Amino acid sequence: MRSAPPLPRVRERPPRLTTGEPLVWGTAMGLTVGLAMILYLLGLILVNGVTAFWPRRVAWLELRPGSAARLGQAAVLAGEVVAEQAKRDHLGSGPAPQEWQLFLGNKDVYGQAFRYVDAADVVRRSYPRTLMVIERLEYGDAIGVPVALEIKGEGVLPAEAPRFAARLRQLVEEVNRRRARIRQLEKRDIGALNARMEKLRLRQRALERARQAGRDVAAAWQAVAEEMAALQARYEALAQQARHLRQQQDEHALVYRLATGEERRLPLGQVVHYYYPNRLSVWQRLGLLARNVWVFLSEEPREANTEGGVFPAIFGTFVMTVLMSLAVTPFGVVAALYLLEYARQGLLVRLVRIAVSNLAGVPSIVFGVFGLGFFVYGVGGSLDALFFAEALPTPTFGTGGILWASLTLALMTVPVVIVATEEALAAVPRGMREGSLALGASKWQTIQRIVLPAAAPGILTGLILAMARGAGEVAPLMLVGVVKLAPSLPIDTVFPFIHLERKFMHLGFHIYDLGFQSPDAEAAKPMVFATTLLLITLVVVLNLGALYIREKLRRKYATAAF
Amino acid sequence: MARTTPEVPATRTLPRVAPARSVLLVDRLMAVGITFGGIAIIVAVLGIFVFILSQVLPLFRGARVAPLQQVALPPQPYVLLGTDEWTALPVLVSADGTLWFVDPSGQRPVQRVSPAHPPDVAFTAFAYDQGRQEVVMATRDGRFTVVRLNYQATFAGSARTVVAHPQAGPLLALGRQGYPITHIAYRDSGSDKLAVAIQDVAGRREVHAVHLVQRRTLLGASKVQVKNRYDLTPQLAGTPQAVAVTAQADGVVVATEEGDVYYFVRQSEALALRQVFAPFQDLAAPQIASMHFLLGGVSLAFSSPSGAHRLFSLYVPAGAAVRLFGQTKALTPLPAGASFFAHSLRNKAFLTGAGAWAGLYYATTATVRWQQQLPFTVTLARLGGKYDRLLFLDDHHTLHLYALDDPHPEDGWRAFFGKLWYEGAAAPAYVWQSTGGSDAFEPKLSLVPLIIGTLKGTFYALLFAVPVALLAAIYTSQFLHPNLRLVVKPTMEIMASLPSVILGFLAALWLAPLLERRIPSCLLIFLGIPWAAVVFGWLWNRLPRRCRRLVRPGYEFLAFAPVLLAVVYAAWQLGPLLERWLFVVTDPHSGQRLADFRLWWPQATGTRFEQRNALVVGFMMGFAVIPIIFTIAEDALSSVPAALKSASLALGASRWQTAVRVVIPTASAGIFSALMIGLGRAVGETMIVLMATGNTPIMDFSIFTGMRTLSANIAVELPEAPHHGTLYRTLFLGGLLLFVMTFLVNTVAEILRQHLRERYKTV
Repeated sequence: MRSAPPLPRVRERPPRLTTGEPLVWGTAMGLTVGLAMILYLLGLILVNGVTAFWPRRVAWLELRPGSAARLGQAAVLAGEVVAEQAKRDHLGSGPAPQEWQLFLGNKDVYGQAFRYVDAADVVRRSYPRTLMVIERLEYGDAIGVPVALEIKGEGVLPAEAPRFAARLRQLVEEVNRRRARIRQLEKRDIGALNARMEKLRLRQRALERARQAGRDVAAAWQAVAEEMAALQARYEALAQQARHLRQQQDEHALVYRLATGEERRLPLGQVVHYYYPNRLSVWQRLGLLARNVWVFLSEEPREANTEGGVFPAIFGTFVMTVLMSLAVTPFGVVAALYLLEYARQGLLVRLVRIAVSNLAGVPSIVFGVFGLGFFVYGVGGSLDALFFAEALPTPTFGTGGILWASLTLALMTVPVVIVATEEALAAVPRGMREGSLALGASKWQTIQRIVLPAAAPGILTGLILAMARGAGEVAPLMLVGVVKLAPSLPIDTVFPFIHLERKFMHLGFHIYDLGFQSPDAEAAKPMVFATTLLLITLVVVLNLGALYIREKLRRKYATAAF
Repeated sequence: MARTTPEVPATRTLPRVAPARSVLLVDRLMAVGITFGGIAIIVAVLGIFVFILSQVLPLFRGARVAPLQQVALPPQPYVLLGTDEWTALPVLVSADGTLWFVDPSGQRPVQRVSPAHPPDVAFTAFAYDQGRQEVVMATRDGRFTVVRLNYQATFAGSARTVVAHPQAGPLLALGRQGYPITHIAYRDSGSDKLAVAIQDVAGRREVHAVHLVQRRTLLGASKVQVKNRYDLTPQLAGTPQAVAVTAQADGVVVATEEGDVYYFVRQSEALALRQVFAPFQDLAAPQIASMHFLLGGVSLAFSSPSGAHRLFSLYVPAGAAVRLFGQTKALTPLPAGASFFAHSLRNKAFLTGAGAWAGLYYATTATVRWQQQLPFTVTLARLGGKYDRLLFLDDHHTLHLYALDDPHPEDGWRAFFGKLWYEGAAAPAYVWQSTGGSDAFEPKLSLVPLIIGTLKGTFYALLFAVPVALLAAIYTSQFLHPNLRLVVKPTMEIMASLPSVILGFLAALWLAPLLERRIPSCLLIFLGIPWAAVVFGWLWNRLPRRCRRLVRPGYEFLAFAPVLLAVVYAAWQLGPLLERWLFVVTDPHSGQRLADFRLWWPQATGTRFEQRNALVVGFMMGFAVIPIIFTIAEDALSSVPAALKSASLALGASRWQTAVRVVIPTASAGIFSALMIGLGRAVGETMIVLMATGNTPIMDFSIFTGMRTLSANIAVELPEAPHHGTLYRTLFLGGLLLFVMTFLVNTVAEILRQHLRERYKTV
């Protein structure tokens, strides 16, 4: 509603206080504060999330003698300057002196990866080009100056040698290829064998019980035992192969010198990636950023989730959201169709409608409580007793799993979908319905061919909002099957491919776990921010999509009472 | 309509095209299917409440007791009734020290065992420790022995057979040699053992105690050695009547016939008198009929001959330095002084009664779980080791076995919502502490601190969110330029979709450490921004019109942005100055004067300062609550019929006057409903509170302390709660409370909104 254009005033006078113009500014403050909060928060997450991937330069700091930040005898530190801030534990009057937070890496040597240095203690800061950052499988990054390569059968190749760079790159590539091969052997091939052996073991238990019940199971027992032996033999062969490859991994080694002067020898099998942080051009830095983002998105976590990627969490979130949508769409649409098209409109339906829309406001943890009590212990417990008795007391479905989590979230979001679908159905113009009926279509034909297609964008909006809510929700999942580290994905190459009973990882829970259960909260921080950025992108994109569809829909049916 | 029209003369119609039968069939099928499916889904969704309720209801059920078996025993003067853990082989002790093992299922005959004692002993007093399965027998000549019952269970498949191999220990001297012991009490805490006895010394009653020690090494337990002997008689003013020993074998309680109780504590070498009290001193007949310790040895249950029934517990009273006995509860009276008593080994329940009346009490909540006038007179009683059986011996030598079904004795309205006096506490309190270290731990399941925590979090969240959200809604709906609205509203809605785990993580790891050092800056910001807005608005309107034209109506919020930044920056920088000026404390150790709000606050107000506090939670919860209140309030405000606004403006009211006097009153119901829904969201918010508070269940409203809310409590404790246990059901009760609270609040809001919609239609 546009305010009326001001009439020409007779006298030029500032408006008096009673007209309330200053108070309009007061209300403007509310909006500004709200918008500033959200924009600042998004910006904060964006900046912190992106810098988590950005390869920083590594500073070489010479400390003044007697500085508290010194490590042992050495007066030199090498590390990435993570933050410059006022001193944290400063008590007393006077402005707090500045301090730097340094990422030193080399947790295996120094014990902690981070160190605070008084800015006043630094005598000189430089960025030597020889410094190397080595991503390792264990203990996080190592930062040092390469000294030599120890190659089996060739001897020692010093870092000054011209062949050094090419040889190192070649060997690291080789090691990474072999690691992928070992992984494939151990995860896929041996994993598949293990699954089959586990199944045989359960079969043995079932036979054992049949035997106790007095049936003759000797033949079946024999068959199982033979199959077991065959599998065992194949397992041995594969395990032998993997062992052999593992030995090869540690044949060569990289020797590097830390800033503190001490030399370390690192078997190349430990190296994931390396780079010279102070030699990179901006483009190389961007390339490295892209690589880090890719690793983050596609790899599995290492080291209590603080290193590596979040692929299983992305996958878990995705599978759970899809399962949830599969459950929630038909339920929501059928319930809404009933409420709007088939039920006799009266007080009861009105009450039901209010109750259903209020369920959307019931705290998510309550749904988690219900899911645990009903799905996990109730339905899951009964399923176990009926179909998976041979595995008891180890629960199969009687414990949290991706199916129960999806159903719990589906229950939580079904009111959202019902309300959105009802609104969309109600928004379909009456004329369209009546036109269809007048042409002789039956009620169902009208719904199926006219109403539902017309309402589809609205239903989709509801579904997307439900997915966004489901993807970002953590509290109920903590009760019904999310874990900090799932050994296997809910969908894989082992029969029956979709494992609905498995526990899974979730981006939201990953954030909670990293931020609060991590042994090294400081080291986990970049990872948390990166995961946060990812989750927020996912949720915001879903929401924007829903908004976009809704806006389009609103224009399409602008005439209808929407 | 067609139904009511009178019959029209048939006109010549075109031949009707009949729909295919399959179409009609599908139509009918779908109608039935959707109706059935729709109703089923709605019922299922609403069934959540019913399911959660069904999980909670058992908490409020009393104990169920049903007769199981009766076994007739050989007529003997039985003095003691004991039982094993499974109540598979109860034992009776007759006055001559013989043990009678009874199989209540009747499969095995009553088995008589006489432990190997020296031939000349005659027993005069007995005591029983159900936890350690020991019977203490005292002799006519001032000695005592400990008989270990040594119950053993063997399993064949799922069938259990319990056998006992009683074994008598050596006879030890206690008190004066040659005089009969009439009462004995004995406690064994592993290395220390304390026995106390009343001895009849030629018609005079004396109380003697002996302290025994037993070293335990890797090679096993060494021999029991007497460490000290005590004669307590000189310190008693009356005639001793009953004795008891505390659970850690470090104290003795003696009751006298005059109704006084003497409490002695073992301190290094002495057994020192610490307290004398009279549990029934206010009654006409202050005598004590019975005195028994409950599980854990901290609480004593007393009954008087008239049936008065009181519980005394050891605690450190205000102003004292040591634990003393004080009355914590008055229990439902008995018909007469208690003639039998047995405490549970699982919880604070005890079985007591007089004559044919028996009652099962629960000490923590001071409730009677079950009571009945039995068809026989009880002489001895015992509670099964798993709190699943009641055993009574009647005066005709029949053992009655009852099944007890009481899975949640510690619960009830009083436990959840009442102020309870827990063992060891100096006063009744509302406490949530669901698990503890030992068997004798009393679960403290008061939901009040959690409700208070929930309200506290909600209060601070709304305190911050409501002004911001409502002002923003008023501005957006009334003053904002319509083109901008299309951008502003979705942006605020994005805020609503931020996953709360992200807000929680930011609150705890980014905001809390940041705010901790800058509390004065925050205070300045919170106070400064509103004033800045109004003052700036006032100044702006003093400016000549030419300048004012620079900001078109509807764009004020953008013009205010730089002001906001300036205020925030200035307040941030001024905060430390303010701190140095106002919030200065003197360090008691170094004498240095420190400017630190974190230290100043506890000194000035006496409440603690925590890094993760209600301020952080309130601010971050604002992100979750502001957009909800904003969206709904804005909808209500902007759907006020345009005619009302136009009329007001046409009559010469300014846009502010129109907004405040016309639009807001009209939309007030909608605004209220927005607040209710915001409240509902804040009440149930889990992750932010879980991450950004210390999750301590405390009972204060201070802004600088944390809290524990119902929802966070569920998230913390439910994963570890055993299925169908008391804690599990109590957490479900918390969930039910949340459900009911939010559902009610939302329903009120929804009804208001519908009401409002009707009103708009008529305007």
